[in-house]
Amino acid sequence: MDRTNSISSKEAAFLHVTNPQNNGIHLEMQGTNCRQPQESNITGLRSPDSGENSDGKWASRLLIECATAMSEKDSTKIHHLLWMLNELASPYGDCDQKLAFYFLQSLFCKATDSGQRCYKTLISVAEKSHSFDSVRKLILKFQEVSPWTTFGHVASNGAMLEALEGENKLHIIDISNTLCTQWPTLLEALATRNDETPHLKLTVVVTTSIVESVMKEITPRMEKFARLMGVPFEFRVMNGLNFLGELTKDSLGVQDDEAIAVNCIGALKRVDVEERRAFIQMIQSLRPKVVTVVEEEADFSSSRNDFVKCFEECLRFYTIYFDMLEESFAPTSNERLMLERECSRSIVSVLACDDEVDHGGDSERRERGSQWSVKLREAFVPVRYSDDVVDDVNALLRRYRTGWSLVLPAGADDVGLYLTWKEEPVVWASVWKP
Amino acid sequence: MLHSSNLLAPLLPHNNKRNNSSSSSTMNSGKRATVDLTSEADDSVKRHRSHLPATVDLSVSGEKEHEYEEEQLGSAIIEQEDSTGLRLLGLLLQCAECVAMDNLDDAGQLLPEIAELSSPFGSSAQRVGAYFADALSSRIISSYLANQAIQQALDGVDHVHVIDLDIMQGLQWPGLFHILASRSRKIKSIRITGLGQSMDLLNSTGQRLAEFASALNIPFQFQPLEGKIGNVKDLNQLGIKLGETVVVHWMHHCLYDITGSDVVTLRLLSLLRPKLITIVEQDLSHGGSFLGRFVEALHYYSALFDALGDGLAADSVERHTVEQQLFGYEIRNIVAVGGPKRTGEVKVERWGDELTRVGFRPVSLAGNPAAQASLLLGMFPWQGYTLVEESGWLKLGWKDLSLLTASAWQFSD
Repeated sequence: MDRTNSISSKEAAFLHVTNPQNNGIHLEMQGTNCRQPQESNITGLRSPDSGENSDGKWASRLLIECATAMSEKDSTKIHHLLWMLNELASPYGDCDQKLAFYFLQSLFCKATDSGQRCYKTLISVAEKSHSFDSVRKLILKFQEVSPWTTFGHVASNGAMLEALEGENKLHIIDISNTLCTQWPTLLEALATRNDETPHLKLTVVVTTSIVESVMKEITPRMEKFARLMGVPFEFRVMNGLNFLGELTKDSLGVQDDEAIAVNCIGALKRVDVEERRAFIQMIQSLRPKVVTVVEEEADFSSSRNDFVKCFEECLRFYTIYFDMLEESFAPTSNERLMLERECSRSIVSVLACDDEVDHGGDSERRERGSQWSVKLREAFVPVRYSDDVVDDVNALLRRYRTGWSLVLPAGADDVGLYLTWKEEPVVWASVWKP
Repeated sequence: MLHSSNLLAPLLPHNNKRNNSSSSSTMNSGKRATVDLTSEADDSVKRHRSHLPATVDLSVSGEKEHEYEEEQLGSAIIEQEDSTGLRLLGLLLQCAECVAMDNLDDAGQLLPEIAELSSPFGSSAQRVGAYFADALSSRIISSYLANQAIQQALDGVDHVHVIDLDIMQGLQWPGLFHILASRSRKIKSIRITGLGQSMDLLNSTGQRLAEFASALNIPFQFQPLEGKIGNVKDLNQLGIKLGETVVVHWMHHCLYDITGSDVVTLRLLSLLRPKLITIVEQDLSHGGSFLGRFVEALHYYSALFDALGDGLAADSVERHTVEQQLFGYEIRNIVAVGGPKRTGEVKVERWGDELTRVGFRPVSLAGNPAAQASLLLGMFPWQGYTLVEESGWLKLGWKDLSLLTASAWQFSD
C-alpha cells in the first residue's frame, strides 16, 4: 500500500464549528517553535501573581484538576487537561515536567483502561534490562548520595544487635529487596563483638524475579564476605513465592533453639491490603525476639476507593521523592533516571490498576507509620530506640548533604523514628517485640 | 516489518571512546576493593556500632582481579552498545510504524522497552532514542485525544457524510471507520464524497474503502467527484442528504492547489455548515508520510547528536540542556504534528482572516470557555506562562514557545 498520503485526520488541526446557540472551545494543535506574535492589538493576560500561584508548581495543579475531572467523568475537561499535560510534560526536564510525565502516564492508562497491561509491560521490561551489575550500581550509588535506604538499615541493625545480645544462634529473616546491602555492616559488628561471635543464619525472602536473578550472584559474595569476617554463616534465599502473603512458618524452617529476628524493609506494603493482618500474625507465629519494620511514609491505602484523594497523596509523596532525587544526584545522572522510571511502576499500580484484578506484582499501597502501628500492636509491643542507635543514625545523616534530619515521634503513643527531607517525614523505622 | 533495515546502518553510533565514558564512569563508582571500615566514633570502648558506612561493596577480591574484570567489561560494553543501539533503532521504527497505522495500543506497549534502552545521558544512539521515545509517547497520547475529539463531535450521530477535498488513497479513513464501529452506539451509515484529479484513482480508493467498511460491517457509500471543490457550482453535486452530519476534511498542500479557489471553498463551507472541519497541513519537505518523516528525522538527529557528542563530555550539562530544550522540542514537532518549519501561527492568522471574510465570526472567548481558560490559567505561576488574547483567540504560551491556540468560530446569521 502506498503510504505517501497517510496523513490521518489525527494530524489535523480541528475547527469544530458549533451552531450559534453554544460556543465551543476549539484547540488548534501547534508546533512549539513559533515565534512570538506581534504585540499590537493584544490584551495580554498573565496569571495573577498571587502567593499561591508563584511557586512554580504548575504540574500538581494541572494534574489534580485532571484527576478531579476524571472522577467527575467530565470528558471535555479531561481531554483538554490531558492535552496540556502532554504538551508540557517531559521525563528529561525539571521536576514539574517529570511529575507531569509520570502522572500523565497513569492518568492516560486510567482513561484508556490499560493500567493492568501497562504495569505488566513495565515489569517485564524491567526484568529484561536489570542485571546484577546494573542493579548493584544503582543501589550503591543511591546509598552514596542519599540516606533514604541506609537510614532504615542503620536503625534496624542497631536495634537487632541490641535485642540479640548474648544469643549464640541467630536467625535473621530478611524480607526486603535491599539485595543484602544491609548485612555487611551487621556481620562486621557481629565479628568484632567482645564475646564469642555467634552463628548467623540469614534467610532472604524475595518475590520479584528481578531480585531473584540478582540474588544468585549475591549468594557466593555474601558467603565469601562472612568467611572473611570470620562469622559462622548460613545463607539461604527463599524464592518461588508469588506473593508475600504465601509465606508460611513451615517454609521458613525456623528452629526452636534459634533467636529469631524478622527484618521487614518495605515488605509490609507489598502484601495485599486484605492480607496484612494475617501476615503480621504469621510473623508473630515465628516467635521472633525482635521485628524491625521500615516503610516509606505515605498513605495510598485508606483512600484507595477515593481516586482524587489517593491521587493527591501519591502526588504529594512523589513530589518530595523527585525533589530529593534531583538534589541528591548530578544533573546528568543515569542512576537518577532509573530510579525515576521505577516510580512509574508504583504510580501506575496505585492509580491505574484495580486491586481486585491480579496484575502479577506486589502491592504498592503504602501506609503511614501510625497506621502500621495499629496493626502491629495487635501482635507486638513497640520498643524505643536506644540513645546509642539514635546517635548512630544522626551520625549517618551528617555524612549526607543538608536537608535530612531525624525526628522522634511526638505523642506518647507514637512509635519509631522518622527520616525527614526538608521537614517532611519520608521514611519510618520501628522496632517491635512480642 | 519494514524494508528499513538498510536504513539502520548509517544510524549506528560510531565507537567513539567518549560514548563509553558514561558507562565506564558508573563502573568506577562500584569499584571498591576493600570494605570501608572507617568509624566516626571517637569511642575507645570496643563495642562497635552499626552506623558504619552502608555503601559497602561486596566485591572483596583484590585490585588485580578488578582491573581484569573491568577490561573485559570494557570491550563487552562496546559490543553491547552497538547491539543496544541496533535494537533501540529497530524498536523505534517498529513503534513509528504502529503509530503510522493508528495502532496506538501496540505502539504504547513498545515504549517502555524503548525507554529502558535509551537515556538522554548516554551514547548518541541512546540520546536520540530518548527524545524520539518521548516524542512518540507524546504522539500516542495526542492521537488518542484526537480520536476522542472526533468521537465527541460525532457523538449520537447516526449518519456521517465525509467530504474529503483531496482524498488520494484515503488512508486516513479506515482509522475513523474503526473508531465509529467500536462505539457502543454503532454508526448507521458512512458516506464519503472524495474529490480528486483522477477518476481512476478515485474509483480504486472507493473500492478499497468499501472493503474496509464491509470488514467492519458498516453500511458504506462512496461518491467520487472529479475536479476541485472550488469549481463545484452546485452544492447538490455533493449529494448532501437530510439527517446527515457532515465532516469536511481539508488538506493543505504547499506544493499544489487543492481547492481551485479558497474563497469559493469557504463560501461553500458556510453554506454546508459541516459539523466538523478538519484541516491538515502537510509539509512535503519532510517526505509526506509520517513514517518517511520519522526515518528522515532519525537520520538527521542521529548525525547531529553524534556531532555534539564529539565536542562535549558525556555528562555535559550544557549539551543536555541544548538537546532537551531545543532538539527535544523539534523532534516532538516532527513526530507530533508537522515539521519544525511549521509556522502555524501565520496559518491561523491567515485562516482567521479568510474565515472572517466569508461570514464566520470569531466568538469572543468570554463566558464559559474563557472561564475555563482562566481557570486553567489561574494555575500557572506568573513566571513563564502567558495567556494572550488576540483577535478573539487565546494563545497559551510557555516562556517564548507558543503552545496552544484556541479559537471559536460560528456562522454569523
